[in-house]
Amino acid sequence: MATFIQLLVSGLATGAIYALIAVGFTLVWQTSQTINFAQGEFVMLPAFFVLAATNAGAPFWLATFIGIALSVLVLGILFKFIVVDPMLKYGVLPLVISTIALSLFLKEGVKDFYSSQAQPFPALVPAIDIHVFEAVISTQSLAVLAVAVITVVALNLLLNGTRVGRQMQATAQNVTLARILGVPVRRMVLYTFLINAVLVAIASILVSPIYLAKFTNGETLGMAAFIAAIIGGFNQVRGAVLGGVVLGVLDNLSAAYISSQYRGAFPLIILVAVILLRPQGLLGRVEERSV
Amino acid sequence: MSAVLQVSNMRKTFGGITAVDNVSFEVHSGEILGIIGPNGSGKSTLFNCVLGQLQPSAGEVHVDGRPTTGMRPCDLNRLGVSRTFQLLQVFPQLSVRDNLILAGQEHQGSITSRLFGRADAGVGDAAGRMIEFFGLLHLADEPAGSLSYGQQKLLDAAMAFMAGPRLVLLDEPAGGVNPTMLGHLRERLRAYHVEQSATFVVIEHQMEFVMALCTRVLVLAEGRLIAEGTPRDIRQNPIVIEAYLGH
Amino acid sequence: MTRFGMLVFVVAVAAGVTGPFLLRPFGLYLISMWAVLTIAAIGLNLTLGYAGQVSLAQGAFVGIGAYTAALLTQAGCPFVIAFVAAGSLCFIIGWILGYPALRVQHHYLAFVTLAFTTLVFLVLRNEEWLTGGIYGINGIQRPNVFGWSTAKAINFYFFSFGVLAALAFATWWMLRSPWGRAFVALRENPIRAASLGVDTRRYTLMAFAIGSSLGGMSGALYAPLVQFIEPNSFSLGLSFSLLLMVIIGGSGYFFGPFVGTLIAVLLPEWLRVTEGYYLIVYAAAVMAMMAFCPAGLLGLIERSARALGGRRRPETTQALVGGADS
Repeated sequence: MATFIQLLVSGLATGAIYALIAVGFTLVWQTSQTINFAQGEFVMLPAFFVLAATNAGAPFWLATFIGIALSVLVLGILFKFIVVDPMLKYGVLPLVISTIALSLFLKEGVKDFYSSQAQPFPALVPAIDIHVFEAVISTQSLAVLAVAVITVVALNLLLNGTRVGRQMQATAQNVTLARILGVPVRRMVLYTFLINAVLVAIASILVSPIYLAKFTNGETLGMAAFIAAIIGGFNQVRGAVLGGVVLGVLDNLSAAYISSQYRGAFPLIILVAVILLRPQGLLGRVEERSV
Repeated sequence: MSAVLQVSNMRKTFGGITAVDNVSFEVHSGEILGIIGPNGSGKSTLFNCVLGQLQPSAGEVHVDGRPTTGMRPCDLNRLGVSRTFQLLQVFPQLSVRDNLILAGQEHQGSITSRLFGRADAGVGDAAGRMIEFFGLLHLADEPAGSLSYGQQKLLDAAMAFMAGPRLVLLDEPAGGVNPTMLGHLRERLRAYHVEQSATFVVIEHQMEFVMALCTRVLVLAEGRLIAEGTPRDIRQNPIVIEAYLGH
Repeated sequence: MTRFGMLVFVVAVAAGVTGPFLLRPFGLYLISMWAVLTIAAIGLNLTLGYAGQVSLAQGAFVGIGAYTAALLTQAGCPFVIAFVAAGSLCFIIGWILGYPALRVQHHYLAFVTLAFTTLVFLVLRNEEWLTGGIYGINGIQRPNVFGWSTAKAINFYFFSFGVLAALAFATWWMLRSPWGRAFVALRENPIRAASLGVDTRRYTLMAFAIGSSLGGMSGALYAPLVQFIEPNSFSLGLSFSLLLMVIIGGSGYFFGPFVGTLIAVLLPEWLRVTEGYYLIVYAAAVMAMMAFCPAGLLGLIERSARALGGRRRPETTQALVGGADS
């Protein structure tokens, strides 16, 4: 039982990180039809910005801000204007391929220009074990959960409680209608890219202490983002959160109770199951194409 | 005489908007039924629901007494129901001839037999006849994308006719076509209708086109069926006039 | 094909047949690799360029084909049977994989194939009893084809070139049949195609299954070429490389895979100056290409030819062996 609680907590922590990544991914997809195959590498990269800043002498707290700022600049602004915008006129497929190439580019870039070795990454809080009813819970898991929850709540407040947020939601649901209603669509789309950049940066800072900062991190994290988004329902932000948490918990539990050699396979099986049985995901709506 | 097409209580909602509201009608063999109505009255949505491009929220469709609600467009097509689209949809890279062969080939044999059979799936001659029928002989081997708008509309109709369908639904066939070509198009449609004893349903904006071609007319407004009758009756119907003027 | 195109084709074939005699073993190895991987690229081109679906599993299918052929031939099976088995197995797996994924939209196939590739890698790595695990399979023999030994580098090249030619011809013939027309329709306007009776789902699934099968056959040749296979060769990296090959050559063009694979095989050699950076250069090139000329090199050539040559010959076969946005 104690083990189960431990796994549950750490699963929730992992799930919270997946949720952040999946939410950003879904937002960008909803507003601009951009399926960002490089989302995993987007999560891998900010950690290296932070590390570079610390190497240049900045204290950790400053380095994290620099990391987030650089992330917004590169993964938000540059990504939108240099990669996405020129490609929109060609349709979805070239954009998908471009983001696939981008993921390779970022991965190889970090490997060649920073290091191919895994880098230790400072944790937000010192790792102390707390004992709760015989279960051993790490403060790190709790910190991750706390930060993730705060971020999701803040995002929710932004999307539902502010005018800008509601305009973003309108853009996500129906671009044409939003435009007719006077919503500055292009700006809203830019905002979603920026939000995604912030989310992946936070996720990066949360996940790198656990996995170490390595150029290959993008592969598993990207996959987690896609699967979480699909499980939750591609067209729902709430779904992405739910999907992330479900995936994190199931992933952790499976690693403990099922063979660890096939740990990577479990999320994939969930993916295939969802596609087979409920392709619109847990919370998604069935989408239509009209003529 | 069973109706070729029977639509019962068709309803389609998008979020909070009801685009098609409880529409029912029948189409009898040999008719040319016109469907008119102001912009946004749900005509195209109705077509899309009947023909499988959209899933209806409620209601049923029967073709020759056979339930076809929600059937995939390709399966419906193979039952002998064909359509044209409002936004022009030919295959610009293929030649005119190839567009027509494509339109006919899926009705020949099975998918496997088509792999090992003739390159034109045996419909080359039929395509040639269709090209002559629509007066496109001089353009037969040109890429469809290089045709004028009016010529593409003719091709669009020709493609819909290729498989010898019993029922053809035409979505604004006259839209954007210049007056000279319009006459030719209307004349060709009527000729096909007579020669092949086909049944047509035509959505159109252009009143003259509808009045000259159709035997019976339905009027939609705001998703609902508001009138039905011969072209002359409809033209004089106060409810219809109100619906058009009121917009 | 234009007259210029025919000329290029003839020259290329001549080079392919006579050139090898001038090459040393490493050169022969490279062009054999080209011949083998082009088969996989042709398959992926079918899926991507004709049916418009992104598959990230082609590398995995090459792997499945390679291991199948290696295991069967080492167990005494004649190569021909191993080759057919590899192709058939991958066809079936492709069908099973594609059937659910293609019923949903939004490039779900891309995600499923991404997941599948990882799964295949895990199986290859973990099931040591079957695949040798991380130690791989060693000492794969080059086949004896109807009494002719392909052990020599140049013999193996002609063997793989021959298989490539045969498969390319089969693909060309398929594209000239009504199927080819249906594929173009599928690519250009799937909604219209469906309304004309084209079973878009079935054709897309076929394209994917056949494409995967070609991947398997490529793998069956890959194994005896390199003579030692291990799981890492068939991970996501190979799938990415194959995808980039198809894109750079020109997705949807019949000869795109030939060109793209040639570049991919030679690029590491050309970029030897920059050492390991060729993947980055490759990726950057693809991104640039997507922004300016998504139709790849052959698309670029066709665009320039049109700009220079005026009116385009309206040959329909141009569309069938041409590209997605001529």
